[in-house]
Amino acid sequence: MRLKLPEQLFRVSRSDPQGRVKIRPRQIYILPTRYGFIFGLLLLLLLIGSINYGNNLAFFLTFLLAGLGIVATLHTWRNLLGLELSAGTAEPVFAGQTAGFVIHLSNNRTGERPGIQLQLRDQPMVATDLDGNLRGSLKLHRDSGPRGVLPLGRLTVSTNYPLGLLRAWSYVEMDASCLVYPRPGSSRPPATHSNYHRSSGGDKGVGVDDFVGIRPYRPGDSPQHINWKAVASERGLQTKQFGGDRADRVWLDWDSMQGIGREERLSRICRGILDACDREQEFGLRIPGTEMPPGRGQNHRHHCLAALATYEGPE
Amino acid sequence: MKRPDREPLSRHLLITLTLLLVATVAPHILHLQGWIIGFFLASVALRIASMLRPKLLPGRLLLFVLAVMGLANVIVNYPILFSGEAAIALMTSMVGLKLLEIHSRRDLYIVVFIGYFLLATQFLFNQDALMVGYVIVLTITLTGVLLENSRHRPSNHPIKTFGTALALLLQALPIMLVLFIFFPRLSGPIWFLDIFERSGTTGLSDSITMGSISNLVLSSKIAFRVEFKDPPPAPPLRYWRGPVLWETNGKEWTRGQPLSYSNPPQLHTEGPATEYSVTLEPTGRRWVMVLDLPDTIPHQSKVLGDFQVLRREPIHDRLRYSASSRMRYNTGQITPPERAQGLQLPDNITPRIRSLVQGWRSTAINNQDVVNLALGHFRNQEFYYTLRPPIVNDNPVDQFLFESRRGFCEHFATSFTLLMRVAGIPARVVTGYQGGEFNPLGRHLVVRQSDAHAWSEVWLQGSGWVRVDPTAAVAPERIERSFEFDTALGSDLLGAPIRFGNIQLGTLANMLKQLHWGMDAINASWHRWVLGYTEERQSTLMSMLGLDFLKGHRMAFAMVGFATIAVMLLGTTLWHRGRKRVDPVYADYLRFCNKLKRSGLARKDIEGPLDYLKRIEIWRPEIQSEANRITQSYIHLRYGQTNNKNARRLFHQMVQHFRP
Repeated sequence: MRLKLPEQLFRVSRSDPQGRVKIRPRQIYILPTRYGFIFGLLLLLLLIGSINYGNNLAFFLTFLLAGLGIVATLHTWRNLLGLELSAGTAEPVFAGQTAGFVIHLSNNRTGERPGIQLQLRDQPMVATDLDGNLRGSLKLHRDSGPRGVLPLGRLTVSTNYPLGLLRAWSYVEMDASCLVYPRPGSSRPPATHSNYHRSSGGDKGVGVDDFVGIRPYRPGDSPQHINWKAVASERGLQTKQFGGDRADRVWLDWDSMQGIGREERLSRICRGILDACDREQEFGLRIPGTEMPPGRGQNHRHHCLAALATYEGPE
Repeated sequence: MKRPDREPLSRHLLITLTLLLVATVAPHILHLQGWIIGFFLASVALRIASMLRPKLLPGRLLLFVLAVMGLANVIVNYPILFSGEAAIALMTSMVGLKLLEIHSRRDLYIVVFIGYFLLATQFLFNQDALMVGYVIVLTITLTGVLLENSRHRPSNHPIKTFGTALALLLQALPIMLVLFIFFPRLSGPIWFLDIFERSGTTGLSDSITMGSISNLVLSSKIAFRVEFKDPPPAPPLRYWRGPVLWETNGKEWTRGQPLSYSNPPQLHTEGPATEYSVTLEPTGRRWVMVLDLPDTIPHQSKVLGDFQVLRREPIHDRLRYSASSRMRYNTGQITPPERAQGLQLPDNITPRIRSLVQGWRSTAINNQDVVNLALGHFRNQEFYYTLRPPIVNDNPVDQFLFESRRGFCEHFATSFTLLMRVAGIPARVVTGYQGGEFNPLGRHLVVRQSDAHAWSEVWLQGSGWVRVDPTAAVAPERIERSFEFDTALGSDLLGAPIRFGNIQLGTLANMLKQLHWGMDAINASWHRWVLGYTEERQSTLMSMLGLDFLKGHRMAFAMVGFATIAVMLLGTTLWHRGRKRVDPVYADYLRFCNKLKRSGLARKDIEGPLDYLKRIEIWRPEIQSEANRITQSYIHLRYGQTNNKNARRLFHQMVQHFRP
């Protein structure tokens, strides 16, 4: 049951410049849960019974339970009050995968705050118990949707603690987002303009394929590469050098793919990047407006994929 | 992933809940039909078995069949379905079944709520302080179960959870008190569907046999409490009159045909009346206990010719009434029907009884002498006063007088009365209570079932009906002071002599006695202000508090008002509790910054105190010396070694007087 209220009626907690959100008293909503209503019914039943039998001890228990319900309201409200949330980094995902946002919760109070629940719209709820003066974190999952920047969106922080009779909640909006790379193409890019260049720096004797020569032994060289024949003929320690790895370079070029749509192109380029990474090739990216010089490594991979994710250029 | 309330219940919580439920239902074993309890226990047993072997857990269909069976069980045992007891039976059966149906966290709520309901119903049967304690403990633990259930993971310290539950209930206490005091009370029930039978109510009955009172005195239950207006009468004069028995068949004494009197009994009295008020525990009978002999009697009751006081309706609720009595009296002439009744004899008078009485008659000058000779007989012959007299045969009086000679008050009273009748003196048996303990803390007399007593009344020319207590002849201590049985010691032996209390009490026993008195004083106030908090007492309390203008709906408003105040106070306390305390020095510095901010020179977020000072010196040179002093002492106090109270106070004053 979610009320469709006009946006301005919502009281939403928004993050401060430091990216933290503190739940303030005015931003907490509270309503009985269905068990709260059943509890109310129980109280009514007990009250009628107590009046009918004129039983003062039954009155006692009835009123004690009524008081408990009222006290629980305060405690449920207080369980959220002053809770601080901040968004952690969200690992980039490929379109179609599930994005995971880490939310840090910090309890600046000496008492514990059990049963804190977080929920993104239409997503499963996650929950944790926060001990006094401690931080905890929860991961919220969300379907990534198309490539681009996926905002965290409005999340609901709620609690049923202490008795489960009432639910207090608050809407939170934080400046957090997750980068969604394009969905990788289904197969290896057929028409990648594979631009193999013989790497000028490739044969520096750091490969393993072909024997290229001998050099004096340096500490740290593998014993497998020691020229034992030379040792036997008392020419001293020598190390065999190998090289000839295919240090080729790939260019993933927008223009090399013609006749397919923008997203499909991005998908294929994405696949190309992944393949290049798999084969430990050096690769460069060339799409309209952006050119990434060839490189390797996670950072390079991320920059290239990010460029694809945020591509807004022509078809 | 499942919603939190659909998550399975932890095993520990399920076991705890099952045990709590058994404890909740346990006191009802005494009141509910065996079949209902059996059904409940079978459900619990199945639940426990299915924890060990999950296959045993019944499916939907079987549960439905069980539910129908449970319902049928209730209908068969409680044909009046809308009575309170049927409701309790139904709840007990259904909560047992619900236990079998618990799969996830949300199923637990219903079980806990029914648990609360069943706890409240306990008070319909038992209102002892012990029961109140029991219910409170179970309320705390059931609340603890709710707490545990609304956490995400089970608590590492389950004991702490119950501590939290206790704290919550303590916080609810002020609200409860306000509601309890101000909730408008109605004088009668809303509907009359059933009256809970006060089963097992102990008290005097309208007939006695030898042994009936000695069974009663084993109970230390309170029969009634008395508050005297003046100092209470001496212990030997504390005879509380109950049923008067006229007719005997040789074994049993009963009231016989009620005598009709043309005029109310004439009582010639001397001396002042003793005024008192009594709080009588429910007896289920009509007798109202009064001190011998009643003068003015309570409302809604009448006095019979033999000075029994009867209420119009049987007493099913605790009753409080005022009465007055006369210690010295003369009942005057006897009426012919009374004389006929007072001389009625059973047909099992043996020759040796007759010859015994003949012996007295031949030596005595008048009836008074016969009475004294009979009392002397009891005193001088080997008669023993004992709680466990030997079992009697068909002719108990003969057996008691000539063979066993061991008996309790009713043996002496009935035998003596019969002997008097044989001697031609009108006599009757009076049952009631004798004595009672005076509670110095509560300023009232407590009369217990163990004070139950029987004595005789004989009619003598010139004196009227005179009380004669043959027990006093055998065991005068019994009349002098109340006795207390040590059932663990000796008294269980057949015919063992009774030990009387108050003689050799050690220090420990004295302390126990003090404690006992304290408990009783609490109990009496409890009865007066909690159990007996009625419409009348509510208005009494209101006038005591000076709130007697609160009537009807105003009372309801007052209730809401006071409850709101209680909630707000609690809310404020909770608001402030557990918040981080800001260092007072830092707070003062922030105030300094705020003052400057208002004058247009706000501190930037990234600016330290010294950088800020530099900026102040540039922009506001006229206040630089003051700002400099404040900043320097702030740095000293917050980051330096010097941090004494005076320096802090000085700093506070500097900030206070700072006017940028």
